[in-house]
Amino acid sequence: MILDKTHYQELFQVTDKDMADLAVTALSHGGDYCDLFFENTIDQVHQLMDGKVSSGGLNVDYGVGIRVLCGEKTGYAYSESTLKKDMTAAAEAASAIAQGLGCGAVAPRDTRSIGATYTHQDSNGGRLVRRLFQGRPNPAADRYPIVSDWRNLSPSVAVDWLYRLEDAIKRKDGRIISISCVLSDQTSDLMMYNSFGELKYETRPMTTLQAMVTAVDKGKKIGRNASRSFRKGAEMLTEELLEEMAASIADGMDAAFEAERPKGGQMQVVMGAGASGILLHEAMGHAFEADFNRKGQSIFSDKMGQKICADGINIVDDATIRGNRGSLNFDDEGVPGQRTMMVENGVLTSYLHDRISAKFYGVSPTGNGRRDTFRSSPIPRMRATYMESGNASPEGIIASVKKGIYVNEFSNGQVKIGEGDFTFFVKNGFLIENGHLTRPINDVNVIGNGPQSLKDIVAVGNDCIIDDSAWTCGKGQSVPVCCGMPTVLVNNLLVGGE
Amino acid sequence: MMMDNQNGIENLAFAISAEEIAMAERSLESALKAGASGVQVSLDKARTDIYALLNGEIDNIRQTGDRALTFRIFADGKYGVFSTNRLDDRSIGHFMKQAVENVRLMAEDPYRRLPYESETAKNAVRGDEMELCWYDYDSVTAEDKMRMVREASIYGKEGSSGEGWKLISEEAEYNNTLTDTLLIDSNGLRCRQLETSFEVCSQVSVEDAGGNIYSGLWWDYAISPEGIRGSGAGLKAVREAVSQINPVRKEGGCYRMVVDNRVSGRLVQPVLNALGGRAIFQKSSFLTDALGKKIFGDGFTLVDRPGVKGMSGSILFDSEGRACIDRDIVSEGVVKEYFISTYMSGKLGMEPTSESAMRPVLLPYVKDSEKLTSALREGLDPERMGRDRILGLCGDGILVTEFNGGNCNGATGDFSYGVGGYEFRNGIITGPVESMVITGNMVSLWNSLIAAGDDPRNGLSRQIPTIAFENVVFSA
Repeated sequence: MILDKTHYQELFQVTDKDMADLAVTALSHGGDYCDLFFENTIDQVHQLMDGKVSSGGLNVDYGVGIRVLCGEKTGYAYSESTLKKDMTAAAEAASAIAQGLGCGAVAPRDTRSIGATYTHQDSNGGRLVRRLFQGRPNPAADRYPIVSDWRNLSPSVAVDWLYRLEDAIKRKDGRIISISCVLSDQTSDLMMYNSFGELKYETRPMTTLQAMVTAVDKGKKIGRNASRSFRKGAEMLTEELLEEMAASIADGMDAAFEAERPKGGQMQVVMGAGASGILLHEAMGHAFEADFNRKGQSIFSDKMGQKICADGINIVDDATIRGNRGSLNFDDEGVPGQRTMMVENGVLTSYLHDRISAKFYGVSPTGNGRRDTFRSSPIPRMRATYMESGNASPEGIIASVKKGIYVNEFSNGQVKIGEGDFTFFVKNGFLIENGHLTRPINDVNVIGNGPQSLKDIVAVGNDCIIDDSAWTCGKGQSVPVCCGMPTVLVNNLLVGGE
Repeated sequence: MMMDNQNGIENLAFAISAEEIAMAERSLESALKAGASGVQVSLDKARTDIYALLNGEIDNIRQTGDRALTFRIFADGKYGVFSTNRLDDRSIGHFMKQAVENVRLMAEDPYRRLPYESETAKNAVRGDEMELCWYDYDSVTAEDKMRMVREASIYGKEGSSGEGWKLISEEAEYNNTLTDTLLIDSNGLRCRQLETSFEVCSQVSVEDAGGNIYSGLWWDYAISPEGIRGSGAGLKAVREAVSQINPVRKEGGCYRMVVDNRVSGRLVQPVLNALGGRAIFQKSSFLTDALGKKIFGDGFTLVDRPGVKGMSGSILFDSEGRACIDRDIVSEGVVKEYFISTYMSGKLGMEPTSESAMRPVLLPYVKDSEKLTSALREGLDPERMGRDRILGLCGDGILVTEFNGGNCNGATGDFSYGVGGYEFRNGIITGPVESMVITGNMVSLWNSLIAAGDDPRNGLSRQIPTIAFENVVFSA
């Protein structure tokens, strides 16, 4: 949601002049660039347990972060108050840090991506030269307009939806003995200003609904869960969504009870459409983040422009999907959100950039500069990362496998950036024997190497699904992300098993 | 480690001030005035300075300072948790009113209550009783901080290249943190804990002649800066990375597994999670109905020792203000305790214990050796049972030094983890192995414990030493 500029300036009690003055203060000991990031986030959480919504909460987080850049060096400080004296103190701290970074000695920089070097002039308090992303935020282009703002609703609305979700789940399967549901809503008012004089502002919503159940059958106990998360207000909650989540938990329950851990080893793995996007996120996406490449730590550091996988494979990181958990109108550096093609027809075409890495590489930032709160400096992060559909039928892909596994439910993943080794944990799936899904499997780890696995993709289905579960990426800071995937066949992944 | 007490808490610039204590007390009154029947207020304050180098050059310097109030509010048999960092009296008053109104929309829950006064800690008054605070925190200059991070860094120094490999990237970091927590409630509770920490770490990437990249990480922690000077973090990180060059592919199968003390806590955490009162109540724990029963092998003795002064994780009170005391969690394989908070006590109809293990300690053990008394075990010399001795005890197997993803099913205890490490023969490490996956069940795993050392790493709240298991399934 994008409101009028005055909404944000009144909320944070600052004027245009205040922000310009703060930028001057922050740059008073040198530096190429500085930015201010104002945030007011309200989180509400309500939890249903044992048939009752008997706990809830509210969290308010408010403050401003001030960053000074000297080339690729960063000085950072913040204030939890926007009183002028407190913000000035934070700006002075950032400035002193910049001095510690040796900013005074930094010569005028190459300005290919950031724009012109900031020119400090004592006489006029600093001249803000060439803007890179001009223009006011445009409500007509908003990717997450809020229809029903949680801040204007009674918490009883959240409580009611939790009872309805519990009821929908209960009706699906009598073997469920315990249900826990959590509804969290977050609304963040953000305003970003930088030493080019660019001002961006917006309100980011996020509503997340989760359900965790325990079911028992013939003495065997299993846990299942489902979640949905969107950049939407309370309008996200519909009867259809509840039914979808309840079905997601109940469907496959029989298989989950029958599931056993398979025999481990190297084998073909068919990644089911949707949540398998965690493979992309872990195995490739992180290694495409430009900070790792700028520092020479990524296994893809020297692969730009090279063929890294088969023709026809396209991998995208996208901030433009309306209402998607990973979408952004602007990133946390005020750069417009966009759709970034990382791999096009098998060729590595772009890393994911923040302003620092973009300047280093001499390209435009891709709108991937993100932070978890005003307390942190932005770094390159993914948004909604997915592989575009190919031309194979999912059924044909499965039929082509003589012996392997099909995986479609995951809980987490991890990657070693330098080595490219990744792992993801499979909650549920099936054995594939002679082209057919046979016995259900569970609780296995699948590991591989990112570049090698990309080369080992031998079929891409025509059924890409964006998974709308509540994925959160941790890289020192937590940010909401999304992933997606068509059905894909990967040769030679290592499956842990008996 | 009790440090020089010439200054005292009063001279710590970023510790909670008398004015801030008064603010917390006013906010408690504000909640009661707004209609709460019981209130707990936590004031958390933290200050951190971070100096980071990239390839020997300054990359970023960050300074952080946080202050927030958290309220657990009880009203009309209902409950909610609220927090804010907008701490002027007007904002707090408005926030309290909104919080109490929200609480009244919850369903009644008869088991929500503050801990009884008799259950709460009385001996955490000043905040420095656990001797985790270095009073000269503010005396460390920016130059000294920069010196420490430069000392930790290896980039461009001797040891940063070798035959067949070169260092291609290093991120070195120094940070110092002061945290101060004050907990008060409407029953008269007043607890405080103040801690300082100083850390250096180095994360490196090295490249071998074939262009393969290997990473290494080392960090050191202490309550005062003296404990991290000369840590050699960069050199240790490089050694770790270089030691992984030319890994061999090990055949899958059952092997003895030794787990390094830097990562062994990963295998204890699922057990601690399964002993949590909430998991027990929701029947989602693989240790449901295990209390008082022998579930694990004789060698598995896990205790909670939160009262050891000067040690990371030590604390006199939990987040409810309940007194933390020494407890036996698992004794020679017998489950002695679930973690029962005040709330779960009511739900489960059990006596409250502790909401979690504050400083879990796995006691030493060697299978088939003469049994040691508990007193002797806890007093063992760290040199007596470190990693090398355990490798020697085990003979052949795989030493795990890192976990790379994976999970444990809380309901069944079935686990699968990606691991990395080294093969060892006759007690000697012979070389690195390619990534593997271990699978099994937590109950079975801890029944196959061969040895637990007495070398838990300083700076970790989970004091888990090097451990060894028989017949672990590895896939490769």
